[in-house]
Amino acid sequence: MSNQRQASSASQVPHLSPAELSYLYTSLSLPKNPIRPDGRSPTQFRPLSAETTILPGTNGSARIGFADGTQAIVGVKAEVEKTVLAADTLDSRSLAQHGDALNREGEEGSAAVSGQGEWVQMSIEIPGYRDDDALPIFLGEMMRESLVGSVENKEEMAGGLKARLVINKRWHWRLYIDVLLLSQPLSYPLPLLSLTTHLALLSTKLPKLKSTGEEDPFFDDDWAAAEYLYPRSKPSSGPFHPVRPPVTILVVSVGENIIFDPNREEISVADAVLAISITRSHDSDALKLLSIRSIDPPSRLTQSGIPNSENVNMIGSTPAENPSQEEVSGVWRPRRGGVKRSVVARMIKTVLGKGGVGEEVLEGLEGVEVH
Amino acid sequence: MPITILPPVVEDQSPYQADSDDSMSVDSDEDVEMTGVSRPHKRPRLQANSNIGTGIVTPGEVVTDDPQWMRGHGTYMNPLSTSIIATVAGNVQKTNKLLSVHPLRARYTPEIGDLVVGRIVEVQSKRWKVDVAAPLLAQLPLSAINLPGGILRRRTSADELQIRTFFSEGDLVIAEVQSVHQDGSASLHTRSLKYGKLRNGVFLAVTGTGGSGSASSSVKGGVGASAVGSALAAPGGSGTGGVVRSRRQVWTHETANGGGEVDIILGVNGYIYIYKHTDGADAASSTTENVSITRLEEVASSSIYSSQNDDISPQTRREIARLSQCIQVLVQYGVRVDEETVTGAYQASLQVDLEVGDDEDEEDEWRQEGREYLQGAKGGRIIQLLALDLAQQKNRKKA
Repeated sequence: MSNQRQASSASQVPHLSPAELSYLYTSLSLPKNPIRPDGRSPTQFRPLSAETTILPGTNGSARIGFADGTQAIVGVKAEVEKTVLAADTLDSRSLAQHGDALNREGEEGSAAVSGQGEWVQMSIEIPGYRDDDALPIFLGEMMRESLVGSVENKEEMAGGLKARLVINKRWHWRLYIDVLLLSQPLSYPLPLLSLTTHLALLSTKLPKLKSTGEEDPFFDDDWAAAEYLYPRSKPSSGPFHPVRPPVTILVVSVGENIIFDPNREEISVADAVLAISITRSHDSDALKLLSIRSIDPPSRLTQSGIPNSENVNMIGSTPAENPSQEEVSGVWRPRRGGVKRSVVARMIKTVLGKGGVGEEVLEGLEGVEVH
Repeated sequence: MPITILPPVVEDQSPYQADSDDSMSVDSDEDVEMTGVSRPHKRPRLQANSNIGTGIVTPGEVVTDDPQWMRGHGTYMNPLSTSIIATVAGNVQKTNKLLSVHPLRARYTPEIGDLVVGRIVEVQSKRWKVDVAAPLLAQLPLSAINLPGGILRRRTSADELQIRTFFSEGDLVIAEVQSVHQDGSASLHTRSLKYGKLRNGVFLAVTGTGGSGSASSSVKGGVGASAVGSALAAPGGSGTGGVVRSRRQVWTHETANGGGEVDIILGVNGYIYIYKHTDGADAASSTTENVSITRLEEVASSSIYSSQNDDISPQTRREIARLSQCIQVLVQYGVRVDEETVTGAYQASLQVDLEVGDDEDEEDEWRQEGREYLQGAKGGRIIQLLALDLAQQKNRKKA
C-alpha cells in the first residue's frame, strides 16, 4: 500500500528519519545560501553525459546519464499515415482547430491543415512500474502535452510540431516517442526523461519529400538528404529563432530558497515541487512558459519528530496528551499549507529570466553534438 | 554555470590489460591467466593449459568444462556435466584447484562484531527489522537494546507496547552484529552507550564490505588501481571502492573553516553517518569502563532515543557536506574508504579550494556559486593529491 502511495507522489521516497529530515530542511532553508548535501549551488545541475543518434533503427535517439547513475534512452520513430478527417474520431479540441483550419482554407484557398496532438504518441517505461501505473502515465502526459502544445500560434503554423507532421491534406507523419529509463528511478525521473526526449527530438530526421502538393507522398531514398524535424542551421537572412522541443525542469522550494535539479533527499523535504516546461519562443529571444505542474511533495507523508520535552524516554519529560503543534527547532514537522505566491513567482522568474537557468539548459543541450 | 554536459565516457574495453604484473600474466598460447590469490609462479604448468579465458565472467557463462577444477563460491555445476558455470558477474579466481568467481558488486555479508549503521524498516511486536544492506533484513530484538533508566531494568509489557518510542520506521541506528543466523541474516544489538539512534547529521550509502571487500584482502592492484596507484585500491582488486573493515570505524574529525568537531561513522556495511560531535556523547563513550551503574542511568537516558537535532551552525553543516562529498569522490574513483583516505581526501579538498581560490578571484557570480561542488573536475584533483600524499607517507615509513 505504501508503494502505491509513493508511486503517485514525487518519487520513491526513502524513509528518512525525522532527525535527518530536520537536518536537511534546516540546511536547505538557510537564508540566502542553502547548503545542499552534495555542495551544489541552488541553480547547479548534476553533471550529465549525453550522446545522440545511438539507435540505428530510429529516426532520432539520445541517451543521457546523470552522475548518480540514472540513465535514460529515447528513440523517436516516424511513420507515414493517412489522415482521417472523420469528425467522430476527433476530440473537441482538435475539432475546433480543424474548424479553424477549414475556415482559413476558405479564406486563403490554401491547404493548411493543422496537426493533431494524437499524432504524437509517447510511451514511458520505468523499471518496477507497470505501464498502466500512475507515474509513467502522468509523466508521459506531462511531457506530451508540452510537446504538442508548444506552438499554438495561428499565423505561423510551420512553427509547431503538430503542423510539422503534416505532409499534405491526406497524409501525415505519426511520431512514436519511446522513453526508456534504464536505471531505477533514484530521484524523480522527469528532468532526465525530458532532457533526453529533447535531445532525441533534436536529432530526429525525416526523409526528404520528393512529391509535391496533394500527390501521394514519395520520399528521397538518400538518408543523407533527410531533414531535421527541428531545423538546425541558421538561415542566411533574417533573425533566427529556432523552434525547439520543450524542456521540463524540476524546481523545488525549501523555505524561501529555490533549488534546481533536486536529488531524492532534497525532494523529500521540499515544500513545493514544480515541473516547469519551457521552450524557445519562435518570434523573439525570450523563453516561453508552456506549463507548470505541481507535484505532490512527499514531505507531506513523513512522520514528525518528537521533541525532547515530549519524549517518554527522556528523564524529566512528560508525555503529552495531545502533541503540541508549535515548531521546536531541530524537530521535524511535515510542512502544511502550500507555498507562497512570491516563491512561485520567483521560481518562474529564475527559469525564464534573461540569462536564467532555462536559457542555460537549452544552450547546453544545443551544444550537444548531433550527427 | 548551472549545467555541465559531458560527452559519454567510453569504458575501458579490456581492463585486464592493466600493467599490474602480480595479478595476471599472458602465456605463450595467449591465454590470459588469472592467478588471483594463489602464488603466481608456483605451478605455472598446470594452469597454462587450462582454457579459462577471460577475467570477468557474467552469470550463466561457462567458466571452464575441464573436470580438474573444483567449484567454489559464485559458481554452479550442472549435475549432468562437468562444466563450471558462473552465478555472479565478477572476476575468476583460482586457489590451487578451486575455482571461484569473485563478484564485482555484492551486498554486505554480516559477520559477528561488525559495526553497522542500519535503518529501521519494520516494527514488529518484540523486535525491529533493520536494513543493513545485507541480502536479508537484520533483526534487532527489544531485548538487545538499552532501555532508558538503566541496564538492569526489567523489560515489561509496557515497553513492548511503546516499542515505537525507542525506534520507529525510518530511524537510523548504529549497532553491532551480535550473531549471524544460518540463512545469513544478522541479529543486532545496541547494548553499549556508543550505540543508538543517530541524529545531527547526514547519511550516505556506499559499497560495503561484501564480495568485493575484505574477503580476499591479500590481493593487490586491479582495475581501479591503474588510475591512482595500487596503494589506494580497494582490496579485492575489483576496483569498486567502499568501506572496508579497519581498525577504526568511528572517529572524530577536526574540521577546518570553523566547522568544529565532526564525528564520522563508517558502518562496515557501507552505510556512513557524518554528524556533529557532541561532548556529552564523548564523555559517555570515552569513560564507558568507569561509568558506574547508577551513573549509567543518567547517561543512557540523556539522548539515545532523541529525535531532536541540536543547534548546528552553518559552518559545521558546510564541512559535513564537504566530508560527505569527499567520501563520494573516493567511491567514484574506486578508492577504499577508511579513516586514512577520508582524512587525506578532506585535506586535499581544502588544498584544491585554495588553488582554485587563487585562480578565480574576480570570476563572475555563477562560477563562485558552484565551487563547493567537488564531484566534477575537482574530484580528480583531490584523488591526485591524495595519492601523492599517501605515497609520501609510505616512503617516510620506509625510510
